[in-house]
Amino acid sequence: MHTKVVEDHIETFVRNQFSVNPADPGFDREVDLFEHGYVDSVGVVELLGFLQEKFDVEIPDDDLLSEDFSSIAGIARIVLRNVGVRTESLGTT
Amino acid sequence: MTRSVRVLGRLDPNFAWDGCRIYDRSDFRPGNDLPVDLRGAAASVEGGLSSVWRLLRDPLGINKLFWAEDAEGDILVAARPYLLVEAGRRFEEIRAIPSGSVVDLLPDRPSPEEHSLVPGSWFASPESPGMEVGAIAKRIRSTLDSYLSALATTFPQAEAFVCLSGGLDSTGVAVLVREHFRNVVAVSFDLRRPGGRVSEDRRVAQRLARDLNLSLLEADATEEQLFELLDTVLREGIDWRDFNVHTGLVNAFLARAIDGSAVTGRQAIVFTGDLANEFLADYEPEQYRGTTYYRLPRLSPAALRDSLVRGLDTCHREIGVFAAWDLPVVQPYAVAVDEYLMLGDDYLRSEDRKRRLCQGIFQNLVPDYVFSRAKVRAQVGNPDTGGGVLAACVDRGIDGNWLRRRFAALHDVADPTALNQFIRAGRYHVAIPPLQGMEY
Repeated sequence: MHTKVVEDHIETFVRNQFSVNPADPGFDREVDLFEHGYVDSVGVVELLGFLQEKFDVEIPDDDLLSEDFSSIAGIARIVLRNVGVRTESLGTT
Repeated sequence: MTRSVRVLGRLDPNFAWDGCRIYDRSDFRPGNDLPVDLRGAAASVEGGLSSVWRLLRDPLGINKLFWAEDAEGDILVAARPYLLVEAGRRFEEIRAIPSGSVVDLLPDRPSPEEHSLVPGSWFASPESPGMEVGAIAKRIRSTLDSYLSALATTFPQAEAFVCLSGGLDSTGVAVLVREHFRNVVAVSFDLRRPGGRVSEDRRVAQRLARDLNLSLLEADATEEQLFELLDTVLREGIDWRDFNVHTGLVNAFLARAIDGSAVTGRQAIVFTGDLANEFLADYEPEQYRGTTYYRLPRLSPAALRDSLVRGLDTCHREIGVFAAWDLPVVQPYAVAVDEYLMLGDDYLRSEDRKRRLCQGIFQNLVPDYVFSRAKVRAQVGNPDTGGGVLAACVDRGIDGNWLRRRFAALHDVADPTALNQFIRAGRYHVAIPPLQGMEY
């Protein structure tokens, strides 16, 4: 899965789901989506649901609150890192 | 350098069980078998021989554990972030132990050992066709009865206070607690209103108490009395999000009322009908003065349910708030989580899913008039008696931003946006205490 493809999907989702103005000059793949108000606390749950459905990926808690999980580009990196990873239950990590 | 683990303040009481008996604190000591069957609320910090430490949080994250390193490199652990702030730690440095984890800190190992207590089946899509709802309901009932029986055996002299909103969840808990405990008091919250108008919740609670032959403690709050408790709710509930704070205010007033009436010398235990709404995704947004509050993520019912259940990690509006009055809280539905999570997307789409399930669980123990009630939340009120806690807060300008700023101020956080790094998507910022450099 190519990074750009992942970023494309995430950007499309964010633009549509959160009604981003197409002419907004401040919106790009590096902007902090939460600090700039594009995605709120409810929206981040919707974003996680999208990532799970689209990429079959579950974002671990430590990635969820990392600095990377703030921009489209950063989220794409996290997705690619976690695709195909399954958390084992009742195991030692 | 010598390090140690120190617990600040008290941890929240443990009421977890293994399916047969209530866990004892000694069960959580390092070296013991992992409590893989643990259900219900638990968080513990236990030291063992050779300076080994075991930290544990239950699979739903009902009880909380936070930690930070102090200036000497010791690991400070507490059930509330404000205790770590008072000990000199910056809020931004505080991390939570992950829910559903057992962490062994071993001095002779380069890194901690972490084990998960969260079953892989919990958030996997249920296989179709799955167990029939009637069978699930029977299992829930069996689990609840066995659990309450185990609790009553462990705490035979307890005075049981059941928070009774008059809805299905709390009524179900009341009827079962009554079956197992000798001393039971129902507790009902209401806001004082001009003209002494009483809410429908109160009227139903009064009727239920009569029908169930329970004494009823009526906790009536003025708005001023509620707001006196706001800082306590923010600190002990570890939250600024409006729904949780509003519910926390109701719980705080209930706790104060119970504390004032509990029999001296007898252990009081509070029982609530919490968690069933998360397990059934039974929440709705609310409208007040043209604004939507308590908005929910737009997800499929099963995905919403999973999100709400994961979000219990950061929910402390009951246990945390009652603890401020030294009142332990039992949320019985927690131990039936496996059964509830068997309910698939199709069932969760049905409008009457709670009524049908509760009929299967409680059968003729719950009166018909409770089944026919529309859902009412104490935080919201209704058109007949006026707005509840939500309206009271909004009318005073205590909105989401105000609560966030106040929470930040109480925890010495200069920039409230830092709270975005503490809770996200209903999950805490987690980390495992490091062992590097630890010597014992």
